[in-house]
Amino acid sequence: MRSGLANAVESVLFVAEKPVSRAELARVVGATPKQVETALTELAASYQGTGLRLAHDGDDWQLVTAPEHAAHVAAYLGADRLRVSPASLETLAIIAYRQPVTRADVESIRGVNCDQTIYTLMQRRLIEERGRREAPGRPILYGTTWEFLECFGLSSLDDLPRALTPEGAIPAIGERDAVGDGSA
Amino acid sequence: MLGPEGPHVTVEGFDGPLDLLLELVEEKKLDILTVRLGELADAYLARIRALDALPADEVSAFLALASRLVLLKARSLLPSLIPLAETDEGESEEDLRARLLEYAVVRERAGALGDRLRSGERGFHREGGTPELPPRGGEVLALAAAWSKVLALASRPREEGVVAPGERYSVEERTAEIEAIVAEHAQVTFTELLSTEPTLGWAVVTFIALLDLYRRSVIDLEQSELFADILIRRKQAA
Repeated sequence: MRSGLANAVESVLFVAEKPVSRAELARVVGATPKQVETALTELAASYQGTGLRLAHDGDDWQLVTAPEHAAHVAAYLGADRLRVSPASLETLAIIAYRQPVTRADVESIRGVNCDQTIYTLMQRRLIEERGRREAPGRPILYGTTWEFLECFGLSSLDDLPRALTPEGAIPAIGERDAVGDGSA
Repeated sequence: MLGPEGPHVTVEGFDGPLDLLLELVEEKKLDILTVRLGELADAYLARIRALDALPADEVSAFLALASRLVLLKARSLLPSLIPLAETDEGESEEDLRARLLEYAVVRERAGALGDRLRSGERGFHREGGTPELPPRGGEVLALAAAWSKVLALASRPREEGVVAPGERYSVEERTAEIEAIVAEHAQVTFTELLSTEPTLGWAVVTFIALLDLYRRSVIDLEQSELFADILIRRKQAA
């Protein structure tokens, strides 16, 4: 049996056509954000083996359909399959795993100009601007969107496929840049 | 080494110089962690020579890495060059190796993301706006109560069913009547004034009489909520 609070949160998320923040959920169901967090965890667990999933991007939550049934939902909606070129996928991978990052960060890793791939990903709303880095030139920072999570069937960024090489094995871009800047 | 604008061009199936270098390492089944990158200079240059005419931006990126590889090879052949080389070239073999490793991870992740995309296993959210709801939530009991009132109204005698000449209702008379009632009872409800079987004319005359009394400050009118019974109170003499 689920708690009344989990059910209350579920009913609000059911009618919401856009992601709802935890603070907003807490306000409308009359609970503390901490209680809502517990309820969300409970709710997410209860969707195991159903046609729904509880997805979140940061602290924003939304009910989505289970990836296993994407074909059926796509058939109903008449949705097209998204196609992304290998070059755009590389740029997207860097942004997804290292967000927020600048265009220069992406280019330093890929070793090629990434204007076009970033433009394409922006057009498809897979990435979005996330403010600017407080550095010379105040470059734009990029991060992934809800569309990204949905298109790749991810419940959250924690669901990103893990690479064989652990993240810690190589220096993060920021650290390396900082070292480079310092010695320059 | 990166051009400012222009579409990305895939060179011979390679997404940039690092991609080509990584491809060479994998083709030769070498370990990225231990391979001497300078030894790949010849193979790398051979690949570049084989390329057709390329946009300048792309060529420069490939050539920049080629020069780095040649430098690494030269260093390994002539160790005495190392001190000189390190002063003007920031990127050592280990730096390049780190970049290559980092890129290898990115390519692997891009592959994993591509697999997910091709599997078509994605999520969908509910589309469409929130429906326009009436301002108040529906109350079943209120609906039932309203229906009872309608039934009660329907069972009341109709105007035409009652023998009542128009002259019977006089606003002046009714005003005097109500004034007398209020003087006696201090407060009375509109429903009470209408009595049990009011006709429409009777209700209208009573209502106008009340308005007249209110205008003359004989009574106070009060209604707790919409459609609730109107409370008529005798106004206290100031």
